[in-house]
Amino acid sequence: MNARASHTILAAAVITALLLLAGEATAPLLYTAANTSTAAHADPATVPKESGKDADVLIPLMDDLLSETGTLTLNIKLKDYESAERDLARYAELSAQFDELVVTLDVSGNDIGEFQQNNQENLASLAALLNNTRRFEDLQRIEIEVQGDEGQGMAVVYEGEALRQKMQEGFAAYAEREATVTGIAGHYDLNATPYRESITNFAEIVNATEDQQEEVGGSANSPLEIAVIPDKGRYGDILSIAGAYTGGTAGTPIKVYVDSQIAGNASLDASGNYACSYQVNRTPTGLHLAYATAGTVYSTVTAFEVFPGETAITLAVESRTAVTCTGNLTTAEGRPVTGAPVLLRVDGTELVSTETDQNGTYTEEIALPAGEHTVRAEFDAVGYPLNASESLTETVIVQNEGLSPLPFIAAIAAALGSGWYLRRRHRPAEEPAAELPKTVSVEEESVAAPPQVEIAGLPPREAATVLFRTLRARLGLPDTKTPWDCVRLAPAHTGFFKRYEQIRYAGETPSEEELRAMEEEAVGGDQRAA
Amino acid sequence: MQREFWAVVLLLLLAAGAAYAHTTTTTEEFSRYNVGWNGTSGLAAGEVHDLRGLDPGTTLLILAPNRPFTAEEVGNLRTFLDDGGQILIADEEGNANRLLADLGSTMRVRPGNLASLDRDHADPGLFTVRVVGNDTLFAGVETFRVNRPATVTGGDPLLETSILTWDDGDGDGRPGSTEAFGTAVVCAKEGNLTVLGDPSLFINAMFAENPEFINNLQPVQIDAAHSRTGTVNPTINTLAWVRETPVATAALAALAILPVAYVFGRKRDA
Amino acid sequence: MTGAKKYYAAAVLAAWLIIVAFFMILNRTLDLEIFFVLSLIGLLVVAVLIDGAFSRPRHMRYIGYLIAAGVALFAYIVVEKILEILAA
Repeated sequence: MNARASHTILAAAVITALLLLAGEATAPLLYTAANTSTAAHADPATVPKESGKDADVLIPLMDDLLSETGTLTLNIKLKDYESAERDLARYAELSAQFDELVVTLDVSGNDIGEFQQNNQENLASLAALLNNTRRFEDLQRIEIEVQGDEGQGMAVVYEGEALRQKMQEGFAAYAEREATVTGIAGHYDLNATPYRESITNFAEIVNATEDQQEEVGGSANSPLEIAVIPDKGRYGDILSIAGAYTGGTAGTPIKVYVDSQIAGNASLDASGNYACSYQVNRTPTGLHLAYATAGTVYSTVTAFEVFPGETAITLAVESRTAVTCTGNLTTAEGRPVTGAPVLLRVDGTELVSTETDQNGTYTEEIALPAGEHTVRAEFDAVGYPLNASESLTETVIVQNEGLSPLPFIAAIAAALGSGWYLRRRHRPAEEPAAELPKTVSVEEESVAAPPQVEIAGLPPREAATVLFRTLRARLGLPDTKTPWDCVRLAPAHTGFFKRYEQIRYAGETPSEEELRAMEEEAVGGDQRAA
Repeated sequence: MQREFWAVVLLLLLAAGAAYAHTTTTTEEFSRYNVGWNGTSGLAAGEVHDLRGLDPGTTLLILAPNRPFTAEEVGNLRTFLDDGGQILIADEEGNANRLLADLGSTMRVRPGNLASLDRDHADPGLFTVRVVGNDTLFAGVETFRVNRPATVTGGDPLLETSILTWDDGDGDGRPGSTEAFGTAVVCAKEGNLTVLGDPSLFINAMFAENPEFINNLQPVQIDAAHSRTGTVNPTINTLAWVRETPVATAALAALAILPVAYVFGRKRDA
Repeated sequence: MTGAKKYYAAAVLAAWLIIVAFFMILNRTLDLEIFFVLSLIGLLVVAVLIDGAFSRPRHMRYIGYLIAAGVALFAYIVVEKILEILAA
């Protein structure tokens, strides 16, 4: 195989290789082993490992939670409040652990999520039960102490009554959850007996308070009347709490209490009536008790009910530099829900919380990396007489900022820079080599006549070289003779050759006059020398 | 000049080697010629193309079948089962349900996207199952790792998942409101017929996960006519056919000898 | 043999490319950009080592252009990667 054939083959191979590579240039990462998986299986060597210990703890933890309810209610029933406090603390701790576990394992979607919600409500119920029972005991004690003081006695009775009603309600809610919780417990083979016992204990505790309250009795006639109109409401409704105080002086301040907490102030007008308005805002669903006081006179206790309402939450996403999410949270009647917490779920897991303003609108900007993302807004209605609602899931695509010109500019700059650098490195050696053939050919043309040499545009040392060659050619000496040889062969021009030797090999630069003299000598120095 | 000759020859050899490796391997799933992570090139098993006269001492593995079985083949399989041979059908797409019905079995494969929390890896489809039945296949094994299996209904259960398993219908990797937790059976048997809902156990990447199972499986033969272990690549099929047909192999060998003989013969004359 | 150095240089460069490709296959990641950068390094090292101070043989005459093109592409890759890191 001769050289030409092998060169052709190599050239063809290089071009083929370059073409194949150029085809892949836009996606330089040809293959990578990370995350290789198909619909049928995933490559376990490339899937990162994670410990499965969390999942093992889930079911035993649910068992623990159910058994805690039993011991807690038992201690409350036996009035062992220190142990009950400890149990409650332990129950709260376990519940917090369970909540964390549910978030870590991301299982809030199915019945484990339902169990978690019910458990949280149970925890709240049992904590309220403990507090209410203690308070009730205290009230019993106070009642005996203030025996004889009409005003304070009434206050105690009313508070007792309010407390009892609250505990009744609490028990109703707690018992309502029994079916769901035992159903879930059956699904996972949990021991639900302590839980059922807790319900029985709860019932006994509540019934005991009822018996105690009946013993006390109390006058239900009071000169101060109170009525809530209307006595049913939903979120946003304004209820009017009004009444008349027979025998009261105008201008008396009246305090209105809802659920044993002050809810409004009014003053008695000239006709002995008072009124104050109460807006249903963050009031939980269910029965609420209201009573009024005018100094030491207490009114009867009246109840009003708050019904739950449906809500609707909207979500609109816009993608500019960051993703802007806006939306409205309204009730089914179109009333905006103000100051409510809204959760934005990004890509199914990340949660960003925001709040609605006075008009029920919320706005939030989220920074997301490039690509496709899903966003959903959720309102979980805790503490509101409203049902939770979710918006539709919106997809937003965050664009890459297009192709930036910076890399191209850098590439061009680098090419120019390296080109300039390489040129510079080679130029000093290049120029004399390029010059020499030119002057020699000029020389050979005009050897007969007195040689015409052009040294006008040349640098001094190059000009000296040209002159030396001219002289050497004119003297008929071969091109291979060095200046020292020329000194020996043509002693007449020793000065010229020696000076040239210094210029050429010692790096000296001839002056203008020297050059002129050398030019004359080289062109027709014979006459002058002679 | 000599050097250039050798340089060119070396480069051409390298290119030819790369081209050979490129054309004789494939990236098809479950293929014997796929040396990547999702091929079955590492499974040491013989191939049978004909279901007649099978040796009852070996296990017949039908791996991810994608071609239907004719009535005659079903009859052959029935004879094989009655003679005491073991059949292991590994399928997760439901293609084997027809065969199971024809064989008179009550087991069916229900394709789905099983995911579980009881796992060691970040992928919810790659999880651990428990051995609940008694079978030589799973002797000495208590837990088993499966790779995105399907559920098997009917028969005596051999492999069962934990209770924290759900069928991920929407593919989001977490249990949703419609995806309830529950145990699922991944492998069941009826007599000599075992149905395994996960053919992914035989790919190269999964061999290290369940070594005792692969050992217990030997000796095994794969039904090449119906399993997905073949390939559509014509080069590989031609080479395989040549290797198996003695006439073609002999013809190829003769063709290879001729130029060598010609070169040496000519040299001696000169 | 005339130009033996040229062949040694080409052989060394080819061997370096094969080693780089071998390790990329071993690692199961084939990235063209990494391969290009490593081969450019090899080319630069070889060019510096065979460059004589006093002569410029024919096979070295146009290597300047090849190196300039390689450095331009390298600068493009580097700046693109920096922009990627800054944007993240």
